[in-house]
Amino acid sequence: MGQLLIPVLVGVTSMAAYLVGAKGLRLSHGCIHKAVRRMLDCLGVTLIFLGVNLGTAVIVILAARVLTREFLSLYLVADETLLVLSLIQALIFQGWRDLSGPNVSRP
Amino acid sequence: MRPLQMGALGRPRRMVWADLCPLLGGVGLALFLVSAFTPLSNLLSRPMGGPSALEPAEAIVVLGGGVMPNGVLSNSSMRRALHGILLHRKGLAPLLVFFGPVRDSGPAEAEVRAELARALGVAPRVILAAAEPRTTREEALRGSVLLQAKGVQRILLVTDAYHMRRARTAFEQAGFEVLAAPTHDLSSGVFRPGERLALMRRVVEERLARLYYGLAGYL
Repeated sequence: MGQLLIPVLVGVTSMAAYLVGAKGLRLSHGCIHKAVRRMLDCLGVTLIFLGVNLGTAVIVILAARVLTREFLSLYLVADETLLVLSLIQALIFQGWRDLSGPNVSRP
Repeated sequence: MRPLQMGALGRPRRMVWADLCPLLGGVGLALFLVSAFTPLSNLLSRPMGGPSALEPAEAIVVLGGGVMPNGVLSNSSMRRALHGILLHRKGLAPLLVFFGPVRDSGPAEAEVRAELARALGVAPRVILAAAEPRTTREEALRGSVLLQAKGVQRILLVTDAYHMRRARTAFEQAGFEVLAAPTHDLSSGVFRPGERLALMRRVVEERLARLYYGLAGYL
């Protein structure tokens, strides 16, 4: 039962948000698919930023080991903050794409 | 209508980019959900430890697991240290070797663990603490210098189960006969989504570490 708490909780609040959007705010049903796709798009950009950040960090650490006497552990890059910062980078990048007019690629 | 640019294969470039990101996001989301809400991480981590071989040896070697600058051992480090001390108290080997460097500042992990062992009744003369090695490979190389000078060949190697395979290979290459003594296997006791994600992260980290050791010629 404990394992189901989080999925059930998120399911219930998602349903509540759907009802508020559809009934209270009169949002379009057809736009949900576009919203999910936009979310997946943003998640994909987040993963690209995360991959680039991780790859760059590994190169910097290995270079620092070779070029200096300083020892930096590769485990330094395994930090949750990098994921959050990559998400922030992706949100800003996506916002920039959205605000830059219709000639910019978007799903 | 927005203009489309054609790629080398005649496919619109913008369509490729527009499809790639949602696809990548979908794969990432699916992996996240599967990792958090199914036993996938438990299954993937299970074969990483291998069986325990608790037999008499000439030394118990406890690998580093992390210490905070204020001298508090990480969970992993404490688990490994206590496992090593218990094996010594059971009489499986006369020597107890602790590894673990200084992190940023403060005391060395090896010294903190040696102090813990002394406080738990282990005789100071049987404890060796080595704070210089910073990686698994360096621990194996330092271990060979420290122990083979004392004629030690057969060791009980203590580390987390998911780390054992790489550590065991490193110590075998340094000339030891290794008996695996992994701390308890986390794969069987992890059920909450956050714990499963943490376990998956360890599995991925260890597989990447093995890949790195392989590429560097350490394995």
